[in-house]
Amino acid sequence: MNSRLGSSLLWVYFVFMVAFLFLPLVILVLFAFNSGMTPTLPIQGFTTKWFTDAFSNTDLTSALVRSAAIGILASVVATALGIMAAIGLNAKRVPGEPVAIGALLLPLVVPYISLAVGMLILLQALKFKNALWEIALGHAVIALPFALLVILPRLRSLDGSLNEAARDLGASDFAAFRLVTFPLLLPALLSSFIICFSTSFDEFAIASFLYPSGQPTYPVFLYGGARSPAILPQLIAIGTLVIVISLLIVGLSELGRRWAERRIEGRNKANVDVSTNDTLVTT
Amino acid sequence: MSRSTSRRFGGQGLWAWPPVAFVLVLVVVPLVYIALFSVGLRSNIPGTKTAFDLSNWKDFLFGENNPFRNLFWHSLLITVLVSVAVTIAAYPLAYFLSFVARKNRYTLLLLVLAPFFTSFLLRVIAWQIILNENGVVNSFLWWAHLRPQGDSVTWLIYSNFSVALVLFYSWIPFVALPMFVVMENMDRRLLEAAEDLGASRLTSFLKVTLPLSIPGIIAGFVFVLIPTTGEFITPLLVGGPESQLFGNQIQSFFSDSPDWNYGSVLAMTLILLVLILMLVFGRFLSADLRRPSTEGA
Repeated sequence: MNSRLGSSLLWVYFVFMVAFLFLPLVILVLFAFNSGMTPTLPIQGFTTKWFTDAFSNTDLTSALVRSAAIGILASVVATALGIMAAIGLNAKRVPGEPVAIGALLLPLVVPYISLAVGMLILLQALKFKNALWEIALGHAVIALPFALLVILPRLRSLDGSLNEAARDLGASDFAAFRLVTFPLLLPALLSSFIICFSTSFDEFAIASFLYPSGQPTYPVFLYGGARSPAILPQLIAIGTLVIVISLLIVGLSELGRRWAERRIEGRNKANVDVSTNDTLVTT
Repeated sequence: MSRSTSRRFGGQGLWAWPPVAFVLVLVVVPLVYIALFSVGLRSNIPGTKTAFDLSNWKDFLFGENNPFRNLFWHSLLITVLVSVAVTIAAYPLAYFLSFVARKNRYTLLLLVLAPFFTSFLLRVIAWQIILNENGVVNSFLWWAHLRPQGDSVTWLIYSNFSVALVLFYSWIPFVALPMFVVMENMDRRLLEAAEDLGASRLTSFLKVTLPLSIPGIIAGFVFVLIPTTGEFITPLLVGGPESQLFGNQIQSFFSDSPDWNYGSVLAMTLILLVLILMLVFGRFLSADLRRPSTEGA
């Protein structure tokens, strides 16, 4: 096969696939500004009505607020537990290491639907009523492996002698962590927080079983609203905002990665490949 | 300053255990409850006598023409077919990024991954808008006078086609990623050697690149197979009554027509399926958290 031809075909395939991947997002943006009552072609005209309607729809805005609050709580808990787990697994000797690793990665593979009904059963057995904080804890546990997978590689890449130096200079374990390790971990903690938040903000299975009646989270509300034509345009408008914000975060983290890459390149040419791989996987 | 040896050589490792306990309470305990429900040792109906009882399992596993077992095989077939299709479609993407788009590969990879970072639910809803009976595709066909007004292509939505298409769409970026990582870590000198020894590009692809990317291919396949076995949101939004998956049946056993005991049999089946897949394929997944061996103990 002619290699020039092969490359061109792969370029065409790549462009086609990217178009396919972005098609639903483009459709949402298109209809967020369409003045027609239903998302059908042809496009009727330009309007921002759906955005104003959406923001005055208190059912929708309070669902968004609920999901944001749950997302923040879940990502704080998951990131905090992720730090603890990473410190633990980074130690020279970890009691029960295989069990610990297995347990920490377990939430990655258990199907959310099974986990959701299991949590429902557990709460019923404990005679707990459905509550938003239960959803937040459920989200924290499914986000924990992501937090760990982001924080642990960063912790491993830190120079252990910095921490030891701090302790030799009289810092307690906690002080050494707070003053040396923690600041160096901050970029990973930020990535972890963003990943955990977006996992929670989009989670439907657990939330659909555990939400208290009349207090749906944003995805639960979205699911219900997708079936009612009257509020669908508002959901598309808000959905567009959510998507644009997510894409902005992705774009900004790419810029951050490039910036970090240039800095590392300047400092240490030999390690550049390792570091770029690292940051990419963690963003 | 004297540092106690015990703290250095054991104390810090204990930090892993509070998060482990968190997972035990919120994941393992629920799974144990599902197991208890599936064998009748617990019930959600107050006042019911509970006793060890395998009748639900017997019915599910051996009952003649059991609809839930049929649904299980049907779902598994669909998810395997979708996973194969996604793996085949994602491979050229990863190959393109790693071998053709050398210079800007990370930026272009991000372009592929970006949709994956946006809300899954919103993307499924967008597909519903596209494929609907009076959705984007059909209204376009009417508008362009390619079909008479009001006459919609029926198989576009609420069909096995729509469920498979949306699952296929959702997982492509995620599957391309492990393949790309494996290709990036490939020893390029092997390719040079093959070409120096007179292999054509096609031959060196078939004899070197493809065999070396098998771990990435398997990892990608498992990356999509495991999460789609429990998928139920896509069929809820774009599937019809005939195209519901196993996950939907579990959901309805716990909501619309509650039978938590029978539902637990299905939920347990799904968990066992995933655990079996992990045992078979786990070594291809690179989430290895053990210490790098160079450090030593």
